[in-house]
Amino acid sequence: MKRIIRVTFIIIIFLTLFFGLQRLVTPKYETNLVEGHMIKEYYDEEKNHEVIFIGDCEVYANISPMVLWQEEGITSYVRGNSQQLIWQSYGLLQETLNYEIPKVVVFNVNSMRYSKPVSEAYNRLMLDNMKWSKEKISIINSSMLEEENLITYLFPIFRYHSRITELTKEDFTYFFKDQNVTYNGFLINKEVKPYTSFPTERKLVNYDFSDDNYHYLDLIRELCEKNNIKLVLMKAPSIYPYWYDEYEENITNYANKYNLDYYNFKNVVEEIGIDYQTDTYDGGEHLNLSGATKLSKYVAHLLKDNYELNDYRNDDKIKEIYDEKLREYQEECDK
Amino acid sequence: MTKKIILLTMLITTILLNTACGKETKNESSTEKPYSFTVNNLTFELGSEFNAEDYGEYVDYSETSSCAFDGLDKTYTYDHYEITTYPKEDKDYIYSIYFLDLDVKTSEGVAIDDSKDKMIETYGDKHEEEDGFYIYTKDKTQLRFGLQNDKIISIEYLYI
Repeated sequence: MKRIIRVTFIIIIFLTLFFGLQRLVTPKYETNLVEGHMIKEYYDEEKNHEVIFIGDCEVYANISPMVLWQEEGITSYVRGNSQQLIWQSYGLLQETLNYEIPKVVVFNVNSMRYSKPVSEAYNRLMLDNMKWSKEKISIINSSMLEEENLITYLFPIFRYHSRITELTKEDFTYFFKDQNVTYNGFLINKEVKPYTSFPTERKLVNYDFSDDNYHYLDLIRELCEKNNIKLVLMKAPSIYPYWYDEYEENITNYANKYNLDYYNFKNVVEEIGIDYQTDTYDGGEHLNLSGATKLSKYVAHLLKDNYELNDYRNDDKIKEIYDEKLREYQEECDK
Repeated sequence: MTKKIILLTMLITTILLNTACGKETKNESSTEKPYSFTVNNLTFELGSEFNAEDYGEYVDYSETSSCAFDGLDKTYTYDHYEITTYPKEDKDYIYSIYFLDLDVKTSEGVAIDDSKDKMIETYGDKHEEEDGFYIYTKDKTQLRFGLQNDKIISIEYLYI
């Protein structure tokens, strides 16, 4: 009996040290590379969203759920990550549906152009803070580069142990503490960098999206159909990277084939009021707070007019939650 | 017993740390000289440091950023080609050389609008094919030809 107690005690000590050390050496993504923090913020949310946006930086930089709330009382969340590839979007949608079933899922189609994982660094930003689930394992397996190992994603200490000599103040400050960096998945950027010029448009030989990407788009569509969710496709406004006419044709054909709504907001930047001299923080790749607010107002009205969404400003319980969020959001916007 | 458990856990951790740091990547040492591009007596070495002032006047300049990471890719447009650099520790290194028209040739004499036969004749048939591109790789550099109807429509050098 004594021996069992002793062994149990040692195992507990070992696990505490192991997970404590893991927590210490894993990047916190609170003040640096904050994009790595976004995925975990969803887990603590009240799961009452009628609209979920899925996609890459073109959603988390450009769509502000707080504006959707202000304008039309829409409850929404952005589940987007840097360079989020389509199979990652599919996995994230599956994970989301484990928590809630929205009325509308809006998928940003920019990632259709990428058929391979880009780098370990982007995988890490998305996956380090994702909760363990079968969807996570599936995303890891589809995203890992040749030189990567599954175990380093399940136990990040095996990837980051060498950081023990490079720890920063952030690692200690946020060892226990955790603070949100987004507002329902929207990452505020207030900088202004006007459009000047971009590299010459590269000539491609084949403008078709890969079969794999179409397969994942099919899976997203089927998953939405199965759950009685309206799937909407969107392309955020941006000047670069170039969205070729052939890409536009591919998506339009897909949307027509399956009777999906597709909105390319690039085509209506004037109507939205976006000015690439003032409304972008990187010369035209992403919108800044001013641009995102304009786009989000437009999207709010479009969603409200077309998808029978509720105005939750009449629901006291939800209103209370969103009023608090809105107060914090406005404070941050006004800073 | 206690010592055994501690030793065992330390051993397991050490083994895992050593095995999980990353699969061994193939480090094929190549004796081949990497691709480089020479024009008007100027040579551009892929992956080497780039200082725009060393290469004459450019006609356009642009910057692009990544979604999350610091640093800017810089693109210098010259009359017939474009040089793109990537940042590393406050310096810029050549990442891509992209041909803009027919008036410039690879160091081995192949240009846009040349035939596939000329490309094979010059660079051989040891290439990979990806999305319509014919890719020749030497060391950490690639020479990528876009082909349509057996004609070259694009040429780009890349550092990989």
